[in-house]
Amino acid sequence: MTGLKTFITRRRGHGGRWHWTDVASWIWLIGGTILMLGPALWLLSSSFKDPAQLAEFPPTLLPYVQRVAEVEGFDTPLPLYTVTLPGGETRILAQIRRLGANAQMVDPADPALRISVPISQRAPLREIGLATANYTDPFLHFDFFTYLRNSVFVTVTATLLTLLTNSMAAFALSKYRFRGRDAVMLVIVGTLMVPLSVILVPLYSVVSRVGLLDSLWGVILPTIATPTGVFLLRQYMLTIPDELIEAARMDHASEWQIYWRIVLPLSAPALAVLAIFSVVWRWNDFLWPLIVLTRRELYTLQVGLNSYAGELNVQWHYILAMTVVTMIPVVLVFILLQRFITTGIAGAGLK
Amino acid sequence: MGSIALRGICKSFGGIEVIHGIDLEIANGELVVFVGPSGCGKSTLLRLIAGLERPSSGLIEIDGRDVTRLGAADRGLAMVFQSYALYPHMTVRQNLSFGLENLRMPKAEIAARVAEAARMLAIGDLLERRPAQLSGGQRQRVAIGRAIVRNPTAFLLDEPLSNLDAELRGTMRAELAALHDRLGATMIYVTHDQIEAMTLADRIVVLRRGRIEQVDTPLNLYNRPANLFVAGFIGSPAMNLFRTEARGGRAVLPGGIDLPVPADGPVVLGIRPQHLHPAGPDEAGIPAELRLVEALGAETVLHGITDSGEPLVAVIDGQPAVTRGQRLRLAFDPADMHLFDAGGRRIG
Repeated sequence: MTGLKTFITRRRGHGGRWHWTDVASWIWLIGGTILMLGPALWLLSSSFKDPAQLAEFPPTLLPYVQRVAEVEGFDTPLPLYTVTLPGGETRILAQIRRLGANAQMVDPADPALRISVPISQRAPLREIGLATANYTDPFLHFDFFTYLRNSVFVTVTATLLTLLTNSMAAFALSKYRFRGRDAVMLVIVGTLMVPLSVILVPLYSVVSRVGLLDSLWGVILPTIATPTGVFLLRQYMLTIPDELIEAARMDHASEWQIYWRIVLPLSAPALAVLAIFSVVWRWNDFLWPLIVLTRRELYTLQVGLNSYAGELNVQWHYILAMTVVTMIPVVLVFILLQRFITTGIAGAGLK
Repeated sequence: MGSIALRGICKSFGGIEVIHGIDLEIANGELVVFVGPSGCGKSTLLRLIAGLERPSSGLIEIDGRDVTRLGAADRGLAMVFQSYALYPHMTVRQNLSFGLENLRMPKAEIAARVAEAARMLAIGDLLERRPAQLSGGQRQRVAIGRAIVRNPTAFLLDEPLSNLDAELRGTMRAELAALHDRLGATMIYVTHDQIEAMTLADRIVVLRRGRIEQVDTPLNLYNRPANLFVAGFIGSPAMNLFRTEARGGRAVLPGGIDLPVPADGPVVLGIRPQHLHPAGPDEAGIPAELRLVEALGAETVLHGITDSGEPLVAVIDGQPAVTRGQRLRLAFDPADMHLFDAGGRRIG
């Protein structure tokens, strides 16, 4: 704890004074934190607001819910308001209904007495609270779990296939010498410069001809071979000493065993990086699944989220809440796999 | 059994020939050391024998069987790499058993062989560790253990001690010699360190620029170097060489030493620093001015320069009272002299 304190309060200025670089770095860091974390926190806070509050201007920082009270003679709890009466006196009243510019109110303590109040004279009585219905409704009334299952299937399958195919390509391109190797590598890396939107139409016709339209495999298969993945893994595998592979060859290992038992385990840090990338890519994929999938029960989460935005009416509260839910797996993947990024184990057995 | 024969081996990389027709016979149980300056092709030759490279032409035979076209795994050889090449993600036990598992050997036998190798190399308590948790000497032992468990026809060792510190190198050298005695297996050992070569080898193969300069026992190489290159390469400090002209069966050295030589024309006279000693009053000697005196205790290394500007090194027993800048005459017994012709070949 004291270590943390000395770390945080460390200054360039002597004797606890502030050097101008201390000020600059604090401003920079705090600004950066707000810039990076702000939108995510704003999303989180907004996802707990009800639709009326989302439409409010100016927006509030924290989610609030209106306080309600049970009033005798009414089946449902009534919302509470702070009302300024003509005499200047303020009272807390429950609203029964709104009629034009007036609201019919009742005092919870005295249910028999009805008071008509101009709506400009009342302010909602609110407290900090969470509109959890934003989260529960999609689970209970919409196909969220179907979308989730589809997304998980696409992400997991595509990531596993990506790791397998890309690492095999990278192994061949880094550890075998053959004519045209560099040309092949150049072509693969060259496809980095071709964005999806350019090949969308031909890709669509290919997927359509092989009968993969409206199938999750139609989403998975075109995405598994990635130039980024091949390049990343190849560059990493180049750092694995050839002597290890020669030693394995002397140890009667087949080429497959060299790949599977030597090169693949030693590429774990690079594989983890690619796995993180692949999970994020496939999880967040929107355009391609939107094009391939037409049946609602095959929608992935991102496409499903889009269905909350209708032609006439966008259900922001659901979109925000489901966006938060959708982010969770990606965040978890980062937290769990990030240590692999920095750990390199190859080379430890040498020298 | 483990006799190895090389017949007319040539190897070129992309048009550049690095091995020029090597012929060599290695008997079963022999420890042969390939030695030479860096770039002489000694490691390439070892890799050719291992099967990690294919010769451009020539034949490799193991126990009389032509293995030139056979893959590295099928030659029955084991190799210890300079960097050890231990699999970093496997424990020592897994490192040792990997090759045996690939041969689909029964588990019980694998365990027995690993235990035997571990006992022999005293690495029994390291079996569950990973290479990163071992010291250099321990890694070296594991690398040798990985070769031993395979029970190979021959061991190929590529500069196995070059990554160890001087003290450990001495210990490991002795252990390797003991191991060779115990196993009685053929070993081919590549090094650039002539002390390793001299102490370990049954026979030394001196290589230069992809050619064999001389193959002989360590002492024969030292006593009767076949040419100037071997004369200069074997022995430390290097042999003193004087270029001179032989006329009428006699050659004259700086300082007026007149020697009978069985040759005519330009010759090179070689004398090892250890064979020089301060000349007595009546003795003919090579005069030299001392530039550097290295007193090592048991012996003293004198670096001098002759009147004609040629460098001269002498190793004198004990601690003679000499200082830098002093002039000294150094004598030798003509029987210790080596004589080479203009082409660098030994005469006599």
